[in-house]
Parts: sequence; C-alpha cells; structure tokens
Amino acid sequence: MSQPGMSLIVKEVAKLVTGFIALFAAYIIVYGHLTPGGGFAGGVILACGFILTVLAYGKKFANRMISDAGTKLWDTFGAVLFLVVALFGYAVGDFFGNLWPGQGNFRLVSAGSIPLSNIAIGIKVAACLLGVFLALSVFRPGEAGGKEEDR
Amino acid sequence: MLARETLPYVLAMLLLGIGVYAIACKKNLIKAIVGVIVIDYAVNLFLVLQGYRTGGEAPILAEGQEVGAFAGASVDPLPQAMILTSIVIGLGVLALMVAMALRIHEKYGTFDLSQIRKLRG
Repeated sequence: MSQPGMSLIVKEVAKLVTGFIALFAAYIIVYGHLTPGGGFAGGVILACGFILTVLAYGKKFANRMISDAGTKLWDTFGAVLFLVVALFGYAVGDFFGNLWPGQGNFRLVSAGSIPLSNIAIGIKVAACLLGVFLALSVFRPGEAGGKEEDR
Repeated sequence: MLARETLPYVLAMLLLGIGVYAIACKKNLIKAIVGVIVIDYAVNLFLVLQGYRTGGEAPILAEGQEVGAFAGASVDPLPQAMILTSIVIGLGVLALMVAMALRIHEKYGTFDLSQIRKLRG
C-alpha cells in the first residue's frame, strides 16, 4: 500500500492495455487518409494511453517518464515536422503541394505526403494533450507561487 | 406540432439553454465551466445537423463506389470537418479555463464565485 499510484489490479491492467492503445493510435494515424480518424483522433488516443499510465502509476513515474520540457519538445517537433512536410511541397511548386502522386486509391501508400502530415499532427496532438494534462495535474512549479503573488 | 425534422434543432437549442443557465445561475466555477462546454457542444451539434441528410451515409468513399452516386447519397462532410476544428478549439478553451480555475482556487481557496468577489472587495 505504500506504493505510489493506484492498486495492483489497475497497474497490471494498464501495463497490458497501454501497448494496444498505442498500436490502435498508430493505426488510426497511419490510416487517416483511408478511414475515419487521422492525426487528431489518433493523437488523442495516444495521449490517452500515456494518461492511463500516469493515472495508474502516479506522479513520480510521470516525472521519470517525461518532463515539462520533454512534452514541449515533442510538441514543437510535431509542428516543425508538419511545416517541413508543407515546405517540401515547393519541390513540386506549391505550399502543401503533394510530392508523391498517388498510386491508385484505397492503398496505404496512395496519398503522397498526406499521411506524413497526419503523423506530424498525431505527434503534436499527443504531446500537446499529454502536456496539458501533466501541467494541470503533475507539474506544479512552486506550490507557494499562488499564495505569495500580489493580487 | 413539431415536425420530425425540426425536433433535433429544438433539442440543440434546449442544450444551449441548459449551458446558458449553468453559466448564469451557478456559483461554482467548475459548474460554469461545464456550462461553457455544454454550449460549445450544443453549437457543434447544431452545425453537424445542418449537414445531415435523412437516410444519408457516412461521407467516406468505399472501394468500387462511383463518385457521383456517392456524392448524391452521403451527408455533407464540410460541417463535420469544421466541427472537428471546433472541437479542438473547445479543448484548448477548456484547458485554459481549467488552468485559470486552478489558479483561482490556489489564490482564494474556493471555487465559489460570490466568495471570490467578497475577498477581492
């Protein structure tokens, strides 16, 4: 009982389930141009997987897993990756131009740079949501900060 | 009486009214935030209903389906894409409001709006 986090059952179930949640999120992101979903929905699912582990294992585990700067870094990385994919469109003449034309419809590799944009958005959304959740629950810089400040 | 087509709009308006009631009448800050989110989703629901077509199918092109027939049968995908953006914005607004409410609770020790006003005056 001295262990941080929730009970043993929750921890074990979280350990089993989190990998599948991440796998499902990857599926939703990668197949974003073919099925419902895409970067945002898959990113939310991925962030939910992380949030589940944080809820099950507690504050110390969250701090060991990822830091405040870490979430910001991944967040920025997603945004920059999206911008890079957009800028590569200039290779064919346009902002967001599609670099690789499609090889037939309804295939995984058929939409050019759109899945890459989806992956970038997925990374950004997952890091952003995890950062928001951790900022509201785990990272409390200066517990006295709220009281000491003048109004 | 209400036609079957107008009933969903009336219910969306009712949802909006519930949100406005929560913002206007509830003293608890968290309940007011929930009211804002209820309004947000009422507006989302209303706009998605604008693109609905009775008996329409999901706007995802299946393999071997003709584009013209598909466009004639599916619901309007544009409001749905817009609402996806709106949901993201609502999420951001929710996070901002919750963060502000947390700071207010740190500073005043309460979520009660009337007591917060008292402390300031």
